[in-house]
Amino acid sequence: MVEIALGTALAAIGAGVAIGFAGLGSGLGQGIAASGSVGAVAEDNSMFAQGIIFTALPETQAIYGFLIAILLLVFSGLLGGGEGLTTGAGLVAIGVGASIGFAGLGSGMGQGIAAAGSVGAVVEDKGMFAQGIIFTALPETQAIYGFLIAILLMVFGGILG
Amino acid sequence: MADEFTAILSTLGLSSEAFIAILILVLLVIGAVVVVIVSRPVLSIYPYLLPAAKVRARKGRLFDEKQLSEIIEVENSNEFVNYLRGFPDYANHLDNHSLEKSLDIQLAETYDLLSRIAPKDISKSFAALAKNSDIINIKSLLAAKESNLNKDATADLLVPAGSLYHTIEQLVDANTVEDIVAGLDGTEYSSVLEDALNQYNESDLILYLESALDKYYLENLLSATNVPDNDNTLILHSYIGTLVDVANLKLIIRAKADNLNYENLDPHMISRGYQVKDWKLKDLMESENVTSIINGLEGTDYSSILVDSLPVYDETGSVSIFEKALDDYVVKYAESLSVRNPLGIGPIIGYLNGKEKEIKNLKIIARAKREAGFPVSEIQEMLV
Repeated sequence: MVEIALGTALAAIGAGVAIGFAGLGSGLGQGIAASGSVGAVAEDNSMFAQGIIFTALPETQAIYGFLIAILLLVFSGLLGGGEGLTTGAGLVAIGVGASIGFAGLGSGMGQGIAAAGSVGAVVEDKGMFAQGIIFTALPETQAIYGFLIAILLMVFGGILG
Repeated sequence: MADEFTAILSTLGLSSEAFIAILILVLLVIGAVVVVIVSRPVLSIYPYLLPAAKVRARKGRLFDEKQLSEIIEVENSNEFVNYLRGFPDYANHLDNHSLEKSLDIQLAETYDLLSRIAPKDISKSFAALAKNSDIINIKSLLAAKESNLNKDATADLLVPAGSLYHTIEQLVDANTVEDIVAGLDGTEYSSVLEDALNQYNESDLILYLESALDKYYLENLLSATNVPDNDNTLILHSYIGTLVDVANLKLIIRAKADNLNYENLDPHMISRGYQVKDWKLKDLMESENVTSIINGLEGTDYSSILVDSLPVYDETGSVSIFEKALDDYVVKYAESLSVRNPLGIGPIIGYLNGKEKEIKNLKIIARAKREAGFPVSEIQEMLV
């Protein structure tokens, strides 16, 4: 059995939390948006492009979570090529994962709900596309905050560099 | 740091493996709690997403103010029909049916669509709503028999929609109203019509049969939304309750204008309305005249809109002004409900209300355009 340092094992949990919760939020959000989009496209074929755009928006939270998870795995030495993390850095890594994981969960769900509402508005009135995109983009900010804090934690918590 | 941490774990009597196991367990519990909490709102809106998008797409195809103005300005019925042929929803039916029938088919298709796509918690109500097509067909059949229309003319009145269409279609050559009622034996309308048959036989008026069908229809709708248990069913309950209130008020006002008393009215009233409760309904039925009915509605939304129409009624003596005011109120009320739950029942009520309003207005315009030179300003006043 491969010997893994405690700090590295904690970083692995952090990576799991990062992509797990961010992916959950993103998946729920995308499911909500896709369901609304399918209804719109079923009635109006010309809605396909707009439907795809609105459905794709809640993907970003999973991407943030994925990026943070990859960074944690690489810099914790779990993927090889480096020393394992200290226990303190490992605990920071859990904070990193929680930061992007929970922010991504809330943001993804919120964005999905906003996207589904926007698809409904656009299929009713095509002129609502720009406003719909703006309203749907707003819940992205929470994921960005989570992502930024995760990066800062990694930089100043001794994981990156 | 690691040494301090290991020391703390040792003090607690935990190994590193045990600590990680506890940490994973804690995270799993937190994760499960989070999933349960976030799932609740998602589960409540999820069934509505697809139907809401579908009806909003259709709502976007309803005629807007500009298009309605263009329709009002057309010269005659032919131009009106040609205008409607430019819209696939209507064009499909206008090739095979008359204008009035095409409009009825469109409305029946709307009820049918909503009953098919409505989420489970409101599906019962929309299934009850879709029965409107059967009720309309039975009423047409009764009216045709009363007017002694022949088989072809009677068949032409029927709208090819509803679960009983084929049963009703076979009754076009029935000789009497009694034969029609007997022909509907085994359907849910059989007992309703049989109960009203005595009054029909005594008065020779099919009005009693029609009124019994209307009452049955609205009571059915009401009982389908009787126990609202979430925001969507609460909104639907308030909408259907308002329809019941308006039906009751229209009947009471018309009956009082015709000097009918409590005993005449009571059998036709539908209890458990939304704003007009049973005790208030009783008071209104016992009112002396139309003015006292309207005064008795104080404290309800209906009071102000009917009070505003009172001067016109005093001048003309026609209760249609109250009926129009109540119809307008239902449309505005439904519009206010349609924005209350945008990822729930709101868009469904919005579309239903919009489609009903469109069909009503198109029928008004169709009737007006049959008369050469009917003033455009008068049509505009008649529109809902």
